[in-house]
Amino acid sequence: MKQFRHLIKPYAIWAAVMIVIPIILIALYAFTEEGNSVLTFAFTFENFKKFAEATYVNVILKSFRLGILTTLICLGLGYPLAFIISRFEEKTQNTLILMVTIPMWINLLLRTYAWMNILADNGIINQILGSLGLGQLSMMYTDFSVIIGLICNFMPFMIIPIHTSLSKMDKSLIEAAYDLGADPVQTFWKVTWPLSIPGVLNGIMMVFLLSVSTFVIPKLLGGGQYMLIGNLIESQFISVGDWNFGSAISLILMVIILISMGLMKKIDKQEDKE
Amino acid sequence: MKKKKSFFNRFYVVLCLAFFYLPILVTMIFSFNSSKSLTRFSGFSLRWYSELLNNVEVVKAVYVSVSIAIIATIVSTVLGTITAIGLSRNRKVVRELILNVNEIPILNPEIVTAIGLMLLFSSIGMRKGYITMLLAHITFCTPYVITSVYPKVRSLDPNLANAAMDLGATPYQALVKIVVPMIKEGIFAGALLAFTMSFDDFVISYFVTGNGTKNISIVVYNMTKRINPTINALSTIVILVIIVVLVAANIVPDMMKKRGFSGTTRKEKAVVLVLVVVLLAGLIQCGSVSRQQKVLKVYNAGEYIDLSLLEQFEEEYNCTVIYETFESNEMMYTKLSSGESYDVLVPSDYMIERLIKEEYLQHLDWDMIPNSENLMEEVMDQSYDPGNRYSCPYFWGTVGILYDKTVVDPEDLEDGWELLRNPKYKGKIYMYDSERDSFMIALKALGYSMNTTDENEIQEAYEWLISQRDTMDPIYAGDDVIDNMISGNKAIAVVYSGDASYIISENEDMDYFTPQQGTNVWYDAMLITKDCNEVDLAHDFINFMLREDCALANTEEVGYTSPVQSAFDEMKEGTYEGVSSYIPEIDNPKNEIFAYQTPKIKQKYAELWTKVKAQ
Repeated sequence: MKQFRHLIKPYAIWAAVMIVIPIILIALYAFTEEGNSVLTFAFTFENFKKFAEATYVNVILKSFRLGILTTLICLGLGYPLAFIISRFEEKTQNTLILMVTIPMWINLLLRTYAWMNILADNGIINQILGSLGLGQLSMMYTDFSVIIGLICNFMPFMIIPIHTSLSKMDKSLIEAAYDLGADPVQTFWKVTWPLSIPGVLNGIMMVFLLSVSTFVIPKLLGGGQYMLIGNLIESQFISVGDWNFGSAISLILMVIILISMGLMKKIDKQEDKE
Repeated sequence: MKKKKSFFNRFYVVLCLAFFYLPILVTMIFSFNSSKSLTRFSGFSLRWYSELLNNVEVVKAVYVSVSIAIIATIVSTVLGTITAIGLSRNRKVVRELILNVNEIPILNPEIVTAIGLMLLFSSIGMRKGYITMLLAHITFCTPYVITSVYPKVRSLDPNLANAAMDLGATPYQALVKIVVPMIKEGIFAGALLAFTMSFDDFVISYFVTGNGTKNISIVVYNMTKRINPTINALSTIVILVIIVVLVAANIVPDMMKKRGFSGTTRKEKAVVLVLVVVLLAGLIQCGSVSRQQKVLKVYNAGEYIDLSLLEQFEEEYNCTVIYETFESNEMMYTKLSSGESYDVLVPSDYMIERLIKEEYLQHLDWDMIPNSENLMEEVMDQSYDPGNRYSCPYFWGTVGILYDKTVVDPEDLEDGWELLRNPKYKGKIYMYDSERDSFMIALKALGYSMNTTDENEIQEAYEWLISQRDTMDPIYAGDDVIDNMISGNKAIAVVYSGDASYIISENEDMDYFTPQQGTNVWYDAMLITKDCNEVDLAHDFINFMLREDCALANTEEVGYTSPVQSAFDEMKEGTYEGVSSYIPEIDNPKNEIFAYQTPKIKQKYAELWTKVKAQ
């Protein structure tokens, strides 16, 4: 089996140049002082100290809360959908999965703009409510509008990996469970669910990562006061111009995420053992 | 029972899909709107479709997006798949290392990946454009393929490939005939993800591209200032094309089967080959700018020019203009300081002061700009560039309050900036999401200079903003405020005078005023960079923009106030008659121009502003 071992070499080189070197460059900024030139090294931990302030800690807590909430909703809504899709015949399955994917080929900004027009105070929903003689609902610039935007954009990233896991599952296992007297609920929890765990974890990871670092959607649907970690980083690079602090925040975010992903992998492995 | 369940299942699928397609449906419907508004449907028209066909920029961007997405998907799928297979055969240490590195681009906020790659390309001196964008896309797509394929490979029985090779298959055959078919769902899912990520990417593309290569997202992002239904028309076409392809893909194989076709692998290969050749041809064509003509690189704010003027200039001066746009002065500075080079820049006053201080610019030769005699006297010789040694005015204006005449009591206007803290209008206010403009408002309301460096004054302004935030629930918006105010979503908004003119021309209920406590008078001006390659042509460009007919066309299109006297007068008495925001009030002695801030002060403001927003 050694024949395939060398297949990783091209990517190892690629990753070293295109992933590792940029990260090193970013880390250099995080540990150095003011100035956009890396040539003058002046090491400092100031950028990390600054982050300990309550405001920034709150921003990161808010981001994680929102990320977790979005991920849970996506899982709760996406799993049943993936499950139902995987029960159709194969050709229908492919079509449905494509239909889930296609909306993502339409520009994210455009879709977010469309949501603004749907939810705005004088937007489409309120116009409909108004013509029915009902009162106005204020939906924009709330948790609700931001989460709607996030779910609409990121749920496909939950559905696709779960569906991949489910569709590959051996259907005779389910039949066997029925034959042995399990009811549908038991079959699901004892057979289907454990087998779909890799897809679920993959989906959770993807949705969580995307929603925790997003900045365009909260900015448009939540307004500028909806400050998440992604917005904070973006503003450091784009409006404030403090690349050093921006790099430090992204390093912190990276470490936190790496730790939480490490924990999740542990769960994954435990599931494997069972 | 079973039927009921299957009905419920179908209903759920339809419901979810409806949720995904709702925004797209809205986009499609408004692509047929006869007016520019995205909330009020005023009539059916195909106007935006004809504009789309005439928009060369959009057509080019479609080509860039599609070809990059396809190439990046193919490359990253192959690379990701073989890596995933190879990974399962390696020692744990190597495997974990590669997998962890692989996760970095997925974990990192896009902006960080973008900046990292931008730094990389700049430091090795690569010419930014199609190739750098493609390399970046492959870099962030491959990890998604690996994470989709690797679990599949892991669940595979390793003995299968061994068995095949024991039976005499070569490793390549074992790979293609045994391993790949068994993990094809994973590969398919990975490829789909890769295509999706690439096709929709904005942030990374924006920072790694250059020399005029733009994808759809970049074009859309630059349009958001004046949301433009042409892009809705484009989405509608994209959706229709996808549906046609899908239907075809589902029907054609069936028909072929019926007619007895089979074994089309050779044909498939031929199709792939043709596809690759077409793409490569396009790539080469796209990548090479013809060298015979002179090339001028202009970097301006988004939606800030009449694009037909560029074509006119190209024709008259027999040259090619590479035109790029930025969202904010700071974004421009970020790109500039990363080593990207331009010939002509059009930033604002305080940024000009900074660029002068940091020696990015060269002196203008006013003898080469004879049309400068058209300029109004009021706009010359301002504090950001005394004597106009480096800069030539482009547009100018003020910052003020736009209000809904049907909601706001005229008497309340006398409070000036304090209107923004009048509890009557709680929940009806848009602030502008920029620390400069917000602190300007607070400082002016308190009677201080907006360029203050006094810690106590800054602290007071901070408290003003905090109290405003706590009592008024304002929304801190960006350029989306324009479309929102046209739709009348809120009653009061802080806007630039040029945007106010545009909003008032679209929504008659709105009016604009500049508070008596003074405001920010701003100037955007044209500059020539130090490393400009075409100094003569750059001067010609500036001269061209000051020509009376060009200046008029430009101000008519954009809505901002022209510094050219004749254009100014004509607009004042013509198109924008009665629109007070077109005539900047510069008589108020309390008005000021933003000045350069030392990095320390700038950071102070930025930190406080973050705190205001993140409270």
